[in-house]
Amino acid sequence: MHRREFLTTATAGATLVVFPAVLRAQSKEPIRIGFPLPLTGTFAAIAADMQKGAQLAMEELNAKGGAMGRKIEVLFRDDELKPAVGAQRTKELIENQKVDFVVGGLAAHVQMAINEQTKAAKKLYISVSQSDEISAKPDTSPLTFHEALNPTITSRAMATYGMQNLGKKWWIVYADYAWGKQNNAVFTAAITKLGGTILGSTPYPLGKPEFSAHLPKIQAAKPDVIYAVTPGADNVPFLKQAISFGLKKDAKIAQPLHFLYYTKEGGAEVFQDIYGATHFCHELAETLPQAKRYVEAFTKQFKMPPDAYSGYGYNGIMEVARGVELAKSTESDAVANALRKNREYDHYKGKQWWRACDNKSFQDLWILKVRSPQQVKGEWGLFDVIGKVVANEELDRTCAEKGFA
Amino acid sequence: MREALRRLPAWVTAHPIASFIVFFAVFPFLVPYQSLATQVLIFGLFALGFNLLYGYTGLLSFGHAAYYGLGAYGTGIALAKLQLTSLWVALGLGFGAAMVGGALVGFFCLRRRGIYFAMLTLAFAQMLYFIAFHAADLTGGDDGLRGIPLYPLSLPGVSLSLRHPLAFYFFAYALVVLAVAALKRILDSPFGAVLQAIRENSDRAVACGYNINRIKLLSFVFSASFAGLAGALDALRLTVVPVESLYYTTSAQVVIMTLLGGAGTFFGPFVGAATFLVLADRLSLFIEFWPLVIGVIFMAFVLFLPRGIWGTLTSRRAP
Repeated sequence: MHRREFLTTATAGATLVVFPAVLRAQSKEPIRIGFPLPLTGTFAAIAADMQKGAQLAMEELNAKGGAMGRKIEVLFRDDELKPAVGAQRTKELIENQKVDFVVGGLAAHVQMAINEQTKAAKKLYISVSQSDEISAKPDTSPLTFHEALNPTITSRAMATYGMQNLGKKWWIVYADYAWGKQNNAVFTAAITKLGGTILGSTPYPLGKPEFSAHLPKIQAAKPDVIYAVTPGADNVPFLKQAISFGLKKDAKIAQPLHFLYYTKEGGAEVFQDIYGATHFCHELAETLPQAKRYVEAFTKQFKMPPDAYSGYGYNGIMEVARGVELAKSTESDAVANALRKNREYDHYKGKQWWRACDNKSFQDLWILKVRSPQQVKGEWGLFDVIGKVVANEELDRTCAEKGFA
Repeated sequence: MREALRRLPAWVTAHPIASFIVFFAVFPFLVPYQSLATQVLIFGLFALGFNLLYGYTGLLSFGHAAYYGLGAYGTGIALAKLQLTSLWVALGLGFGAAMVGGALVGFFCLRRRGIYFAMLTLAFAQMLYFIAFHAADLTGGDDGLRGIPLYPLSLPGVSLSLRHPLAFYFFAYALVVLAVAALKRILDSPFGAVLQAIRENSDRAVACGYNINRIKLLSFVFSASFAGLAGALDALRLTVVPVESLYYTTSAQVVIMTLLGGAGTFFGPFVGAATFLVLADRLSLFIEFWPLVIGVIFMAFVLFLPRGIWGTLTSRRAP
């Protein structure tokens, strides 16, 4: 070694010994991901599931050395399912915690409020629950990614499956707010296009699940299937009232989504034979090796199987890490470009991809039917997977329809 | 030193505007992040408006979200839907919407007293909430009003970007200082004295020859205007207006902040807003049931220190 090389190396070495913080600050600072979600409020159970998925992703990534040799740190914040709180929490994460990226939001209106903050701060945001607008102009941005399904995809998939397998004459009951109205509009258009008939539709105020005045009218119309867009806590009261009016004997009942935890809480007696879609359920472990690995890791850690939304949380963190590795950078622009250039990913249930125009994730979904109380397997085996709708960009609106020229 | 501290509340009470200017000039450096400081300023202004009506005039409104929401939507719609590019005009529209809304609602509600008055204010606010909820083309419905651009602020000869949280803080600070000075002027005027006379004994105020209905209406309009300015500023701060801005929970929040800080005191609303928001921000990092903690603190104040934080400090330490 030459004298000059020796001096350079020795000086650098001595600097690192004397000032270890320099090394830490430059290369070992964790990559920070902010994650606002409603840990309290109506969707707390789903949020807890999503949080577990994100936590599992963080731990798996860190066990393999993180991304770019840096640990991943996920900072969860309670947005209370309120947009103003979601916005404030996101500001806190960006200003105070200096997060590099944001993942999260559960409910369209909170996602919108988070998205406004990440757009202003030029941070990459992966949104992880249903919304049609978040991946369309004018709300979206080159830094806004949407991992979850949306009402259009969900209702078109349910309409396609339903027309082939459940019946031709439908009645829709929907909660009168954005998600309910979107599902009603998309489902009506899809059924009509496929040659079916919408006999009628019943809007009701979200959170006021009183249907006794409407049920006789629905019964008199004799639909083959009722499409119940009765989210969250309205789901069980609707089904109980439908059962007590004998509606469940006269018609099949389908709904946009099934949630394992809600179905378990409501019981197989109530949910028996109800159809619904999902992007993930733990029963997929029986057929998909990726799902088997995920379900086993999740169950080992949390002593319960994952529900669907854990997958969104898991993927959100995994995709940030993949983007960082690909871009070799934590700059949001670079990571977003890297994800758009390397669109395909498969973390827990099979191939997914980002559509280049709107950063929307496309993924397979499955149709579930709830088992009868006698058929339920163990504590958690409530669903029969009875169909699969393969990921298809045609299920969503086109890029042009979403405002991309 | 202890003597100086003992005299501080009295000095602050004697020099409210100067104290306000000094304290809030350093406030953003005392809290964990600047957007939190701005939120305290804005909600302090909202509570200040509420306090004028409740603390000084003795009229309990349960629907002050209406004026906060009108201010927010007025400014938000001006920028996002009408595509105006002047922040001043947009703020003016929000402020004006709240003022007109206050005049209309006040005109009807002030025909009743006590619980009927309170219920009417609540009913009007809830009506506005449902209108905003369903008029999605204009308000964004329950997805909220998005896409509010934060244009640079044009001042004579200069254009200031408000994108940095500290820049926005001092913009809000300047407007809130003006509002606080305006409130001081109102309270120090003969009109302000009559407001307090109405609060203490409205029959006696009538007997003294004051047209108390007109004075109450003016107080209502001033109060709504302050709340509207707060809403307008918050629309710019968040660049989104959630429909919950008009919901009764927002009205309840401002009642809690005012009572916590001290109703009928000049600084109570700001003290209440700061206590509530900073506690909520920090506590929610550690415990999920933080509203319970704030609830217990609030109940303790209502039961044992009904003058609120600032009211207790100033009443005990006054010479």
